[in-house]
Amino acid sequence: VAKLCVCDLLVAQCDVNCCCDPDCSAADFSLFTTCSVPVVTSDSRLCSQKAAIYSLDVEANPPERIFKLIDQVNPSIFCIHATNYKQALSFSPAEIPTSENFDQLLKQFGSATFSAEPDSWNMDTDAQTPSDANDTYRYEYGVPVQTVDAFLRLPSPVVSSWCSDANPAGFLVNQATKCTRPVSVEECGNIQAVSMLFYINSSILAVNITVQSIVVQSLNGMRTLPNGSDVLRLPMILDELCINIVLGVSYHITYTDAGEIIEAAASFVLGAINKAALSIQQSFEISFTQVNTTPVPRSGNPGYVVGLPIRAGFRPQGYPFPGEILFAALVLNTNKYSQLTILQSTSNQDCLAAQGARTPVLFGYNMISGCQLRIRAAMKCQPLTQTLLDLLKGQSFPEYVASFGNSQAQDVHDWVPITHLRTSDQSDNDRIYNTFQSSCQIPVSLEIEVKWTKYGSLVNPQAKIVNVTATIATTTVKQLPSGRERTIPITSSVVFTDISSPAEPGYKAWPTINVKLPFDFFFPFV
Amino acid sequence: NSSYQLSSVPLQILLYVNGIYYIFYFSATLAMIVYKSQVLSYPDDFLAPDLALLFVMAILEVLRLYLGSKGNLTEEEAPLGLSLVITVGSVILSVYFLVWQTYVLKADVILNAVLLFTYGLGSVLKVMAIAAFVR
Repeated sequence: VAKLCVCDLLVAQCDVNCCCDPDCSAADFSLFTTCSVPVVTSDSRLCSQKAAIYSLDVEANPPERIFKLIDQVNPSIFCIHATNYKQALSFSPAEIPTSENFDQLLKQFGSATFSAEPDSWNMDTDAQTPSDANDTYRYEYGVPVQTVDAFLRLPSPVVSSWCSDANPAGFLVNQATKCTRPVSVEECGNIQAVSMLFYINSSILAVNITVQSIVVQSLNGMRTLPNGSDVLRLPMILDELCINIVLGVSYHITYTDAGEIIEAAASFVLGAINKAALSIQQSFEISFTQVNTTPVPRSGNPGYVVGLPIRAGFRPQGYPFPGEILFAALVLNTNKYSQLTILQSTSNQDCLAAQGARTPVLFGYNMISGCQLRIRAAMKCQPLTQTLLDLLKGQSFPEYVASFGNSQAQDVHDWVPITHLRTSDQSDNDRIYNTFQSSCQIPVSLEIEVKWTKYGSLVNPQAKIVNVTATIATTTVKQLPSGRERTIPITSSVVFTDISSPAEPGYKAWPTINVKLPFDFFFPFV
Repeated sequence: NSSYQLSSVPLQILLYVNGIYYIFYFSATLAMIVYKSQVLSYPDDFLAPDLALLFVMAILEVLRLYLGSKGNLTEEEAPLGLSLVITVGSVILSVYFLVWQTYVLKADVILNAVLLFTYGLGSVLKVMAIAAFVR
């Protein structure tokens, strides 16, 4: 006890206000103000124990440290007089691995997780399968997807980034995980978890997992689609590389609205490792789709969520009259980020060299982008106008924008038509004057103004798009003398304006006293 | 009148007091074992022998007191001798609870010391009674 010192943190140096520090000299003690550790004892439950008491005598000049070693007595009659159990009052140290117990310790603690989960799952399913002898199950959200022997596994990192195969896939829980697996070229055929068979050989009770597609990734990261995309490829050694090892699996499960799984497909990304590789990163994904529906990505439910792309679409072809679209669904681009887009500024600011990069319009994010247009004398007006219009609006500028984030393509009333406006920097007089001259009007800016309002309850207002206006501003370009150049900036912007009117309080009507005497109250007399 | 009665009155009183004291001792020791198992680290390997020996001691004590009382009252040496032999066992068990228990609290020390003292006193009185009966 006299040698224990908790505050002695610096080696061979004196710690400040640490009275038990052996590195401190009397001169150091004279500078202390107090003792941070006044008493050092062993377990206070013992009846009699040694205690080292440190204190500072501040009255002496210079202050001195006083050290006393006394026997502290615990007055309680339940103090521990003696113990015959050696580890009674201290923490138990971990086992030191020796050559005898190494194998047993490795088996117990050698993996990423310390529990024997897969075995206990097998015991659970044995207990369950007699009662659920039928193949059809009704799943609920989050319930692990059962297979013949255990659960459908989606390897994921648990405590560290190493893969643990004990993560079950939950029904309707779309997951994507990435984890690291230790591999080596020598163990090519032996590691189960990098072989395709490991992921498809367990059938989800009456539904076999089919291989939907295989993509082969080479060592430098290039992915190709090989012939025979649904043939089982097992890991094998080829030219000192181990090929056909699984780098990624993507499960797609189709279910009915009764909660049964009717189809399961897996897409693989296979890769190769060389001798130097010690581990690979595997990525796993699972997604659930209801049968007979196409997944429609929403941008909010029901109101738009800030940051999600605006949903927009076209009137279907063959329905030129606006009235008829009431009976048809709108056509949407399946990529939700390509439905309404504006020009994306590039590092090379030349408009004519832009390669069609577009950026999606996200709800709530005002954006501005642009480029510089260099006009030379030889350019013709009409092709230039058309090019600029294509540049500003993109290849497929939509006609309708969804007013809610979850508007269905079938409900045409939920969609807002885009209003197109044109403004010009010429006044009307100038325009009339200029029609007799050859002047060129080129569009220089596209401004999309989206007016939205708050809809619904005060506590949780939902964003609803009310009006979308696309304004194209044009400017006159006079013919340039040859050899000269002119640079015009072209811009496109998106502005979101909140036009929600302030909420009006609604009060209940004052209660009225509604008193009416019955018609025949004064019966005999009236 | 006491020459006709060889039974030792002090021995009987001691046996009676011993009985009451042992009831207190048994409940106190059992309660303290429960307390120790909750507050301190008391693995099952160490708890089981302690509890078993406590119950064995209780049985031995009942036998000892019964035989001693019967022998003293009927003025026979045999039960008293048997009781003395059982006392040896009880003394050993008491020493176990005093010294070799897993956790010996100060209260344990006090209880067992008192019990050993009564055993010692009881043994002396029993020897004197046996001597009186034999003569």
